[in-house]
Amino acid sequence: MSQLRIDEFIPENRLLASGHLACPGCAAPLAMKLTLNVLGSDTIVVMPACCYTIIAGPWPQSSLQVPVFHTAFATGPAVASGIRAALDVQGKHDTTVLVWVGDGGTFDIGIQSLSGAAERNENILYVCYDNEAYMNTGIQRSSATPWGAWTTTTPAQYPESSNKKDILAIMAAHNIPYAATATPAYPVDFVEKVTKAKAMRGTRFIHVLSPCPPGWKCGDDEGLELARMAVQNRVFPMLEVEDGQRWRFTMDHAGDLVEPYLRRQGRFRHLRAAQVAHIQAEVTAHWELLLRRVQAEPLVPAGVAVAD
Amino acid sequence: MPETIATTPGTRAVPEVAISTISSLVTRTGSWKYQFPEYHDRVAPCNAGCPVGIDIEGYLNLLREGRVDEARDLLLAENPLPAVTGRVCHHPCENACNRRALDGAVAIHAVERAMGDLAHERPAPLLKGAPRAERVAVVGSGPAGLACAYHLARFGYGVTVFESAPLPGGMLRLGIPEFRLPREVLDKDIARVAAHGVEIKCDVRIGTDLAWDELTRTFNAVCIATGAHTSRALDVPGEQLPGVRPGLAFLRNVNSGKRPKLGKRVIVVGGGNTAMDCARSAMRLGAKVTVAYRRTREQMPAINEEIEDAMREGAEFVFLANPLEFTEKGGRVHTMVCERMVLGEPDASGRRRPLPTGERFTLEVDTVLTAIGESSALEGFFTDVEGADSGLRVDALGGTSRDLLYASGDVTDLARTVADALGMGKRAAIGIDRHLRRYHGDTTELNALRFADGNLSAARWLRRDPIRRTAAVNKVVTADDLNFTQFRRVPRHAEAHLESDIARRGFSEVNSGLSTADAMDEAKRCLNCGVCTECDVCLIFCPDAAITHAADGAYAIAMDYCKGCGICAAECPRGAITMTQDRP
Amino acid sequence: MKKVMVGNHAVAWGARLARVEVISAYPITPQTQVVEKLSEMCADGTLAACFIKVESEHSAMAAVIGASATGARTFTASSSHGLLYMHEMLHWAGGGRLPIVMADINRAVGPGWNIWTDQNDSLSQRDTGWVQLYCETNQEVVDTTVMAFKLAEQLNVPVMLMLDGFYLSHTAEPVDIPDQELVDRFLPKREAPYKLDVEHPHAFGALVKPDAYMEMRWLMQEALRKVPQALEAIEKDWMRMFGRSYGAIEAYRAEDAELLLVTSGTVTSTARAVVDARRAAGEKIGVLKVKMFRPFPTTLLRDALSGVARVAVLDRNVSPGHGGIFAEELRSALYDLPAAERPEIFGYVLGLGGRDITPTVIDDVIEQTRTGTVPSRADLWVGVNL
Repeated sequence: MSQLRIDEFIPENRLLASGHLACPGCAAPLAMKLTLNVLGSDTIVVMPACCYTIIAGPWPQSSLQVPVFHTAFATGPAVASGIRAALDVQGKHDTTVLVWVGDGGTFDIGIQSLSGAAERNENILYVCYDNEAYMNTGIQRSSATPWGAWTTTTPAQYPESSNKKDILAIMAAHNIPYAATATPAYPVDFVEKVTKAKAMRGTRFIHVLSPCPPGWKCGDDEGLELARMAVQNRVFPMLEVEDGQRWRFTMDHAGDLVEPYLRRQGRFRHLRAAQVAHIQAEVTAHWELLLRRVQAEPLVPAGVAVAD
Repeated sequence: MPETIATTPGTRAVPEVAISTISSLVTRTGSWKYQFPEYHDRVAPCNAGCPVGIDIEGYLNLLREGRVDEARDLLLAENPLPAVTGRVCHHPCENACNRRALDGAVAIHAVERAMGDLAHERPAPLLKGAPRAERVAVVGSGPAGLACAYHLARFGYGVTVFESAPLPGGMLRLGIPEFRLPREVLDKDIARVAAHGVEIKCDVRIGTDLAWDELTRTFNAVCIATGAHTSRALDVPGEQLPGVRPGLAFLRNVNSGKRPKLGKRVIVVGGGNTAMDCARSAMRLGAKVTVAYRRTREQMPAINEEIEDAMREGAEFVFLANPLEFTEKGGRVHTMVCERMVLGEPDASGRRRPLPTGERFTLEVDTVLTAIGESSALEGFFTDVEGADSGLRVDALGGTSRDLLYASGDVTDLARTVADALGMGKRAAIGIDRHLRRYHGDTTELNALRFADGNLSAARWLRRDPIRRTAAVNKVVTADDLNFTQFRRVPRHAEAHLESDIARRGFSEVNSGLSTADAMDEAKRCLNCGVCTECDVCLIFCPDAAITHAADGAYAIAMDYCKGCGICAAECPRGAITMTQDRP
Repeated sequence: MKKVMVGNHAVAWGARLARVEVISAYPITPQTQVVEKLSEMCADGTLAACFIKVESEHSAMAAVIGASATGARTFTASSSHGLLYMHEMLHWAGGGRLPIVMADINRAVGPGWNIWTDQNDSLSQRDTGWVQLYCETNQEVVDTTVMAFKLAEQLNVPVMLMLDGFYLSHTAEPVDIPDQELVDRFLPKREAPYKLDVEHPHAFGALVKPDAYMEMRWLMQEALRKVPQALEAIEKDWMRMFGRSYGAIEAYRAEDAELLLVTSGTVTSTARAVVDARRAAGEKIGVLKVKMFRPFPTTLLRDALSGVARVAVLDRNVSPGHGGIFAEELRSALYDLPAAERPEIFGYVLGLGGRDITPTVIDDVIEQTRTGTVPSRADLWVGVNL
């Protein structure tokens, strides 16, 4: 029961500066902080259009103390491929090229570029921080928006009518060395995954559930708890897939009901009992699919704690 | 600035591409917030719930940090008899423990026991206040009297304890069997009290060997802690028959080394610790024991562990059985006739009241031991003091209706547990100290010495509280205030017990406690409710990187950048951060 | 070293001589031979570059942007829809001041599908902040590719060079391959003034508010304004080292001409032949080849065309709803000339979608320009058969 201190499990903590422009309670900068703490200063960040375009800070500021290349929406993995190639030409093989993208840039407009880079097995680390809609532009639906959710383009009378794209399976199907889900709500698990990904070569993909209080319509301090609920109720299971073949859970999932999770978020407030039941059935079905994919035993019994 | 038509570049340093030159620290995003986080230590429920007034969370925290001697000293600051209470206390701290909701309460009693035993091997430096001229007499050397004497000695007073029995300890020695509290453990704890300069005079009965008047004349203050030694009567026909005996008298015999004959079948009437001690002692004398109790297992006031031990050792339990009469055969008790009860609405004690059903049944018996409680009437002295006939009425600091006469323990009309007695003894000591130093009366200022509404802290009374408390809010932290997800599930350490058939054969200690290593591990299970342990969770989770290690080892929040999201407060495992709308 | 090669291979040779470090491209007719040749060169080690074979032109441009931002010398090539698909990223390269060089094999834009040449693809990229250079011969392609890097890296502007699909891309010509050592002396390794560098961490391309966006665009404009002068100096060096130069514009037999044909790309060569014939017949006709479309060489064109009576602009492109794009830009460039010196401009739209511009077509254009009083409309479509 040793106490995990930040200086033990995260080597440095200087690369994310305060004063960034994330909304209060946004989990994205937390994910960024944890990620950069693992990757260290020998990292170049590629940032296609996303919330973080704003969060990072307007010129001449930058809240990230590593090089950042802001780029157009669809281009993260391609720009990263170019940076990687240039670094390799310069002999800088150890520098990590990190693509930091939202769900729109990953699931929607960027998926071609992502698929291309993954197919080429570009030596990059791709982190999708998924807040489940186009939050920066004012909460419009994306293909990461869950079924039944309210957004400004899926009003409550006609909420989101498609299921969230199974991006992890899509990426795993590229047989890349590493694909995983994570959330900063479980920082130790998160850091372990980034650490593992950092040590690998080739395309590494981490799908991060990143709660967005304004978009999810929850309290500023509730996001992380909601993320943990989403993990425990199997809406967003914690997984990793190596070489597209070896699926495993990285923690136990209690299998709680989804209803309390939905009820705590304004974006699901309109859901009727039958719709909640539908979501529960979908989650259960997807879980059963995962159980068939996962062959190994859970790696960590409940290794989610950062304090004793 | 007027619009100008540029034809040549000016002097303003705008680069040809948007390349950053400064960090975002120039943007004071802290101005967005409407609420502010503050580190506020609050009170752990164990501390508030400890009748002794021990800073349990405090010493467990010191143990977690490996500061064993400091932990021992903090424990001894409040509790003179930790090796005793670690064994026999009913540990309400564990009932209050927030960890119950996660994976089982911290085995506080087991840690306390290990600390108490450790303190025998590694005695604490004696703490004695500046010597005072006044002398105090304490009558009775049970837990209340010993606590009062101990604390008074540590406050600087000369203290003499008068004990009518040949050996000190009161009910600890006479009422509690050796298999729960080995005598050498008791002796060592009492020896530490004596080592503080407390004079213990045994075989002295006040009123007989020394007049009460002389006592009050000779000493500047007196604390009565004579206990409660009269078993309550059942008040049913046949109670006077040979073979029907008060359980307490039986225990006193056994605990003095006697081995009375009981016959084959023994019925113990009652559900408290005395009943359990009677049952277990009787089994050790070869009897087949049945415990008759008028409510059910859930309402039994005995410590759960002792009920389990009694069951394990073979005692049978007949619940919802109310004795109506005893019948005789051959001049001795032969049967106990009971009425079957049923549980009704809760009574004043909060337990469901047993109601008669009219159904009767009969149990054959050789010896009946009654253990339904003790009364604490004073025997012919201080008859003018309030409550002399039923339990002395005392104020918050143990003061009776007579000036400079204090009382504590079972002799009062307050709760009757070892822990309560120790707490009362301490309160009386503080009351006497305060009284002798001529400030008497309103006690509101003493609330600062309490953990929430718990008992007084002697360490705080001495202004020697060794634990740093930042802006303490004297409010108990509930399980709802904690964030359990930040903790690993770790099962409570189980204590080792003698095999039941071996245990039944003698009076060896049944519960052998935890190894020191396990006890130290168990201490680490403490969630440190309400107390910042510098676990870094706030620092890790702050999305604005606004929390940093402060120079003094705790944390600093950069209010220029904190957006007031409240994540630190929500994620704090221990409820040590609160959000406030008042600008600090 | 002389080699006979098609235009596409000339492009590849130019990139090879420039020792590009990172290439990213996506195949499209008629550019495919460029990527094939470069792939071969990378595979056989004659070009030590990393070739990222991306899944789209959008990604091709994005990849070279990333590489260029990291300090590498980068190259790509495309055509038509591929170029259009890059459009967003062409802006990113322009605004990002990244000295990328690319070749566009001019091809018409669908629908209907048309793989043959016209300039509408590249001219649609007019406002992306790229220098545009239209080449006439395979030799010019090789030379211009190398010079483009020097120009780009001097001013931190991206450069696009164009060659007509099939007419040049697939037409073999003898080409003198410059000596690599000399090229290396002419074009040393790129030294980026700023780049993605973990030792000096900066963010590039963040949000720029109205208080500074315009200043950055002004600086971009100023850099493009320096291109003609810079190109002239570069060509002078090239001339000294390799004996060839082309100019932003080139006047051919324009002295005392009363009528000038304004051309770009391979039509220039056809026009030269027609002019040679006409000159032989005593007509005062010449050719003005416009190689550089962006920045538009306004001053050079004013000097070249001032006092010429009639100008026929041959536009293998059209801005629908307006006219031939070179003609329209030329009209605006010459508007400020005194009326007496301002030529009458006849804007011809011809050769779209790869329709052949034969000497006969050019003769017809000359005839109409010579004999017409004033143009009946701003866009005179040649050979439209309805």
